[in-house]
Amino acid sequence: MNALPSFDLHRPTDLLTALTLLDQHRSDAKLIAGGTDFVVNLRHGLETPGHVVALSSIPELNVFDADSKSGLRLGALTTVDTLATDPRIRSAYPVLSEAAASVSGPTLRRMGTLGGNLCLDTRCQWYNQSPLWREACGFCLKKEGTVCHVAPGSELCWAVYSGDIAPALLTLDAELVLQHARGERRVPLSKFYFEDGLRKYDLGVNEILTEVRVPASRAGLAGSYHKLRSRAAVDYPLAGVAVSGRVTGTGTLSEVAIGVTAIGPCPMLVREATRFLEGKNLADERLAEVVVEMARRTANPLHTGGGLSPAYRRLRVGLFARDGVRALTDKLDADV
Amino acid sequence: MIVPRDFDEAGQHGGAGGRSSANGSREPKPSDEHQASNATDSRPSGTDLLDSKDRARGRVSYVDDVRLPDLLHAKFLRSPYAHARIVSIDTSAAAAISGVKAIITGKDTPRRYGVLPVGHDETALATDKVRYLGQEVAAVAATSPRVATAAIRAIRVEYEELPAYFTICEAREANEHWIHADRPRNIEKEYHHVFGDPDAAFRSAVVIVEDEFKHPRVTHAALEPHGTVAVHEPGERYTLWTSTQTPRHVQQGVARALEVEESAVRVIPCAVGGAFGGKSETFPADVAAAILAQRSGRPVRFSLSREEVFLLHRGRPESEIRMRVGLTREGKIAAVACESHQDGGAFCSYGVVTILYSGALLCALYDVQHMRFDGYRILTNKPACGPMRGHGTIGARHAFEVLLDRAAAALGLDPIDVRRRNFLQENSRTVNDLRVTSYGFPECVEKVEAASKWKEKHGRLPSGRGVGFGASHYVSGASNSIIRGTFPHSTVSLQTERSGELTLLTGASEIGQGSDTVLAIIVSSVLGLEPSDIRVVSGDTALTPNDLGSYSSRVTFMTGNAALEAAEKLRDKIRARVARRVGVAATQLVLRDRRVCVEDDPQRGMGFVDSLKLLVEEENSLTTTGSYRPPPAAQGGKFPGAGVGPGVSYSYSAQVVEIEVNRETGEIKVLQVWAAHDCGKALNEVAVRGQVEGSIWMGVGQALCEEQRFSRQGLLFNPGLLEYKVPTTLDTPPIDVFLVESADPEGPFGAKEAGEGSLGAVLPALTNAVYDAVGVWIPDLPLTPERVLAAIRRKESGEAVAAETDSEATSILSDAIKTVN
Repeated sequence: MNALPSFDLHRPTDLLTALTLLDQHRSDAKLIAGGTDFVVNLRHGLETPGHVVALSSIPELNVFDADSKSGLRLGALTTVDTLATDPRIRSAYPVLSEAAASVSGPTLRRMGTLGGNLCLDTRCQWYNQSPLWREACGFCLKKEGTVCHVAPGSELCWAVYSGDIAPALLTLDAELVLQHARGERRVPLSKFYFEDGLRKYDLGVNEILTEVRVPASRAGLAGSYHKLRSRAAVDYPLAGVAVSGRVTGTGTLSEVAIGVTAIGPCPMLVREATRFLEGKNLADERLAEVVVEMARRTANPLHTGGGLSPAYRRLRVGLFARDGVRALTDKLDADV
Repeated sequence: MIVPRDFDEAGQHGGAGGRSSANGSREPKPSDEHQASNATDSRPSGTDLLDSKDRARGRVSYVDDVRLPDLLHAKFLRSPYAHARIVSIDTSAAAAISGVKAIITGKDTPRRYGVLPVGHDETALATDKVRYLGQEVAAVAATSPRVATAAIRAIRVEYEELPAYFTICEAREANEHWIHADRPRNIEKEYHHVFGDPDAAFRSAVVIVEDEFKHPRVTHAALEPHGTVAVHEPGERYTLWTSTQTPRHVQQGVARALEVEESAVRVIPCAVGGAFGGKSETFPADVAAAILAQRSGRPVRFSLSREEVFLLHRGRPESEIRMRVGLTREGKIAAVACESHQDGGAFCSYGVVTILYSGALLCALYDVQHMRFDGYRILTNKPACGPMRGHGTIGARHAFEVLLDRAAAALGLDPIDVRRRNFLQENSRTVNDLRVTSYGFPECVEKVEAASKWKEKHGRLPSGRGVGFGASHYVSGASNSIIRGTFPHSTVSLQTERSGELTLLTGASEIGQGSDTVLAIIVSSVLGLEPSDIRVVSGDTALTPNDLGSYSSRVTFMTGNAALEAAEKLRDKIRARVARRVGVAATQLVLRDRRVCVEDDPQRGMGFVDSLKLLVEEENSLTTTGSYRPPPAAQGGKFPGAGVGPGVSYSYSAQVVEIEVNRETGEIKVLQVWAAHDCGKALNEVAVRGQVEGSIWMGVGQALCEEQRFSRQGLLFNPGLLEYKVPTTLDTPPIDVFLVESADPEGPFGAKEAGEGSLGAVLPALTNAVYDAVGVWIPDLPLTPERVLAAIRRKESGEAVAAETDSEATSILSDAIKTVN
């Protein structure tokens, strides 16, 4: 195992102290919650902070309110395992629990946190490698280099956002609470990510993602998450599709949202599908074909790793979207 | 099988003994004295592995747990080029770093070594040039891993890049800058074997199928990375603690590299956290640690990262196999022709053995009378391949079993029926001079055919669902040693002293597979003890008698036979001495329940430990020794390359898998595996079943998802267990294991190997099942969903598969087929 680099570890017990440390050290400080991704990146020399601020002892980040009348409030330290297993989330926000349950394996789900999963570093086979490896390929645009090996002419980094939870939360209209030492701002999750593997997301060096909120209006939606991977556990997605929506007793669709992940630098909503599906009936035979095509259009993965071709991943995105919409009927059957 | 099952019967009687046993399961026949004494043996009974509780609790000592005063931590500087001349190395800045105690480069490691006598092509650190990306160029020992890493980064190396060759094709076409100057066109070794008259035999075939198979480079993925601790001692002696299957190979390799006598090197294997072939030779860390220890005067540790394990590799090579199989009208195998290319990476390692195995073992499962084999081991600028579970046989077996199915389909025969028409005979010799003794394969086939309800399923399941058959086998210990000499392959000592504790000394190393335990089972069953009564000391080259080590599935058979002989000698000594004391004839005494007593009057006699003390009083110390040499008849023919392939016995496996293929996505779900393994005799049934299941698990991974991928610069894209996809428990299908006990005439209590023979069958079984499910033949592995989907689409898009295979791969003599049908 590669040795960890040297850094100062801070373990604040309240949010303000943590934010003050960020103000003080700016980009020389990094946050650690569960560490399931960050520690690996430290050992690979991808992160070389002078200061690491541990969030695990900050009570404000442990908010957990799943009362569906006021919506869902989830502190950033909520574990992935809690999202996967909490009975209130499973019944009212099934897309979220399914997505969380697909993350890695049981031990890492107990360590990994919601905040960490949403702020996952983007991944690429040219980037998530040791210093020897990256030196041998001349480094890359994301770190220490000038070329994106995935798309050599590109000015943007094509490293892939590979979180499973974000697409589910996208379909639930989630909002993020970002705090800094002098206040907070709220950002819809759908505006949080950038289409650039280097800039990744809209979080300042002095900010902490403290909470995720899901509006009460999204409680009780049917939903499911579908994930392409080479093995059944301990695997990032090569494509992931979350689908939420409502179906009436006669099969009429409403509020359908389709979120896609692991096909590019950011997770995305298939917005045209939401518009198209509103008011349509599930019995309509044309739906499947159109949904497949719309999801495929949204997803345009490149060769960033994982052994399956972009074309195949794209194919599966389309099929997953179709299956997810079809799966809304399971909910319908259960209601009837 | 018709071989007597003496031990079964004894076992059913609760080890009460007293049953006269002709012991037809062992040959050469023991003396009459031995036969009579065997009457007291009970069937060996299985037990938990002796160290399983400690392993589960984290209480065994791995090489990383070795703690020594003043221990230094060492790191390698590795090449960022796949093929380059080293122009200069400047270590001055690194040497100036505080805490750096020794730095070495290729100048300090000039002596070449290698595990095969024909393959001394490695040095611990690159001397003149680097041959793969990641090769060791320099090494630093320092007071902490962090200082060592900083020092490595401070070393400046100037390289002059050379053209690099990453594929079999590129390597063979190279006109210059060969990877090793004495290996023109980068051919490590080639063999051309012809047995019988394959050309004539193919002419007699009514159906000939041929195809080209590509198999990926895969790795062992042992959980414990490699590590070494070395100490330099006065008088130019060295002690190494290392994670190895083969302490004697490491001893020999390190001595050669250091230019000292083998006796100056002591190797102590620690608990090994999995090996699967990947820890079977001397590695650069072993040599470099010894030299750094000598330079610094302090103990030195290397502890490899997971990435470094991938760079060390020694796993299964990528291979390209063109194979042709002909069947006669009666469904007999007319002939086999195999052209096999293996991309062996930058060094020989075991490569010559690997390529030979891929040909030799084509003949020892079925009755093949005519065979041609053209094998090429190719050097490329990638990490060196080596031995891996099922060594050399997996790709060729996949090709053969798939082509047998295709030929059966062309003839309109059931695939299992075709196998049945081609069984070997027990106690026979193959066309390439391999000696077959016990042969439980027919029973294996029957078991899985019945258990899987094959006849109801094959060709009859709904579309998308299918069953497939595959078979494999493996040597139960290679008959010829790769360490040259005339010494026995295994020697075991049993010794005791005043305390009466019985210690078994063996050079075979326990690598988690249960070799210590099986030896204790063998000895305890001869001496009427429990396995846990015996203290097993294994592997330490200074304390234990010679043994080739834990590879090629040899320990139960070879070391087991040596242990059996040592135990029988001890038993005879005990009986002779106790007989005098008690005043009866030695033949009246039995050893059971930790006592030495008169058979029909158990009160007369003494405790086992007391009997040992009695002997020690007289003889001061007491040691008995047994050893094993393969019989000359098992050592194979005289042609070049004949030394690889002969085993003292062979295990056999037959398997059926049932799968579901999603036609829309190409995904395969393995619903069930039925596996029957002929292990001769299961001495420790739970351990045997575990080995069979583990082999199948590994085979499923290679068949469905494992594959190393390289960039055009020779960078391995997936050098970690996150990106290299070994299956998880969730990916592992249910496996029904059936043990077939063919009672090998020479195995200890009839036992033979269980650790490797079941790996090969599952890969072709899966490929064949895909055909049964969706009607496509896919020669390449792994069967990724994308590959399966592409094949389904090719078929559906109207490129008539029959036509394609007619022109490209299968030549069917249509008139003959009509006749047959």
